Formats: sequence, structure tokens, C-alpha cells
Amino acid sequence: MINMAGDDHSYVAIWGWLLGLLIAGVFVFTLHLATVTLLFIIFGVAAIKAILVVRNYMHLKAEHVLIYAIAGIPILLVIGMLLALIPDIVFHR
Amino acid sequence: MSSTATVLTRNAPHSEGIRSIPIGKIGIWWLLASEIMVFGGLITSYVLLRISHGGWAEQAAHVRWQLGTLNTAVLLTSSLTMALALSASRQDRRRRTATFLLLTVLLGVAFLGIKAFEYTGELREGFTPASGLFWSFYYGMTGLHALHVTAGIVVNLTFFVMAVRGDLWDGKQARLEYAGLYWHFVDVVWIFLFPLLYLS
Repeated sequence: MINMAGDDHSYVAIWGWLLGLLIAGVFVFTLHLATVTLLFIIFGVAAIKAILVVRNYMHLKAEHVLIYAIAGIPILLVIGMLLALIPDIVFHR
Repeated sequence: MSSTATVLTRNAPHSEGIRSIPIGKIGIWWLLASEIMVFGGLITSYVLLRISHGGWAEQAAHVRWQLGTLNTAVLLTSSLTMALALSASRQDRRRRTATFLLLTVLLGVAFLGIKAFEYTGELREGFTPASGLFWSFYYGMTGLHALHVTAGIVVNLTFFVMAVRGDLWDGKQARLEYAGLYWHFVDVVWIFLFPLLYLS
């Protein structure tokens, strides 16, 4: 049987982590680090926040492989599009 | 046993697993997949053009990251209230479900209010969608996202009214899960738009 009260506590804990990561990302932004370092950190933090929401609030950690496929294929297509266009757009100005 | 029968028998548990997924859940994930392509295409275009053209950082410096941070906190909190509403509905706690749904709606409205305040300030300073490539993307991506937030508010408000009137129960709670999936997706999109537009 699912412990709903436990789920609620877990949701609040995840929210705490999300807010903590948000503050951490903004704090790093105010430090005026080198651009590459800054981008690496803030997008790393964003990725962790997105994973926390998707796994816990959208319950993807308990989903069937079909749902992973439906959600994963467009993400792979977007990454593929980005990588395929980089040589033309970024290096051929 | 024929080879066809053998294959069917071997695949039976897997097929049953797929059949156990509600068709509504497959439908909402299919919608979200198409949304990933929409926002993914926009974000990819933004990243590629920003890398290949200079001068974006100067334009991006005019957005107010403090308001963006506040809006991110508002949307993250609305995801929490949405998750708590779904949890309450599964426990058949009707008043609690309605309360958290209303909180989610109000937080969504607060997000749009802060965004409107932001737009007003930027437009007054002369930054319109025609002011440059950054501003075209800024208004385009945040505007499209705001439309999605609006749609989510309408859906959540509908479920709130259903919960208050007692129409959300008797096996209809699954629909709330689909609304929640959409709402959390809108949150995830903003999680990436925030650093893209405000912090980089």
C-alpha cells in the first residue's frame, strides 16, 4: 500500500531541494565567474532541477519503458538537430 | 506450438504491461513529446544563433533576473501544490484537493502577473520584440511559455470547480494526474528558459 503521507513529505523535501538549487544557481551567477564555468554550472543546476521534477513530481521513476521512449525520442531528436547544425551555423559564419 | 504462438506467449507479459498504461496517460505524454519538439527547436535556434552572433550578452543584461528568480520560485512552488493536490485526491481528501488546486491556480496567475509587470517595464524602456535578435527570442519564448501557463491555469481551474462540485471523484481522479503532468512539464520548460534568458 502506498504511504500517501510519506509521499507528501517527499514532495515537500523535493521542493526544498529545488528552491535550494535555484538560490545556488543565482548565487553563482552573481559571482561573475568565467563564462564557460558559469554556463556549465547554471545549466548543470537546471538539469538537476528538471530531473528532480520529472522523476518525482511527474513520477517518471515508476513509469513503463514506453513512456520513457515517448519522452526520450524527441529529446534525442532535439540534441541531434543541435549537433547537426553546429558545423553550419557556428563554424561557417 | 507454432512459431507465431510461441512469439505471442513470449511477448505476453510485456504486451500486458503496455496495456496496463491508461490510454489517457499515453495521450498526454504524446502531447508533451510534441511540446518538447516545439520548445526544443526554439531553444536550439536560440543557442546556435547566440553562439554564432555576438552582442547578445549586452542585450540580455537588461532583463531583470531578480523578477525571473521570483517567478521561478513561484512556478516551482506551484508544482509542489499540484503534486499535493494529486496526492490528496488519491486519498479521497476532497477539501484538501480543492485547496491545493486553487493554490496552484493562484500561483499560476501570480506567475503571469509578475511576467506582465516585467514586460511592461521592458517595453517602457524601449525593448520591443523588434529591438534585436535577443529580444525577439525573449518575447517569443516567454510569450509562448505564458500561453502554456494560461492553458494550464484554465485546466486546473476546471478541475478545481469539478472538485468543489463533487464531479472529480468516482474514478475520475486519473484526469488530475494528466493535468499535473502538463503543469509540471510547463515548470520544466521554465527551468531551462530561466538560465537561458536571465543568467547567461
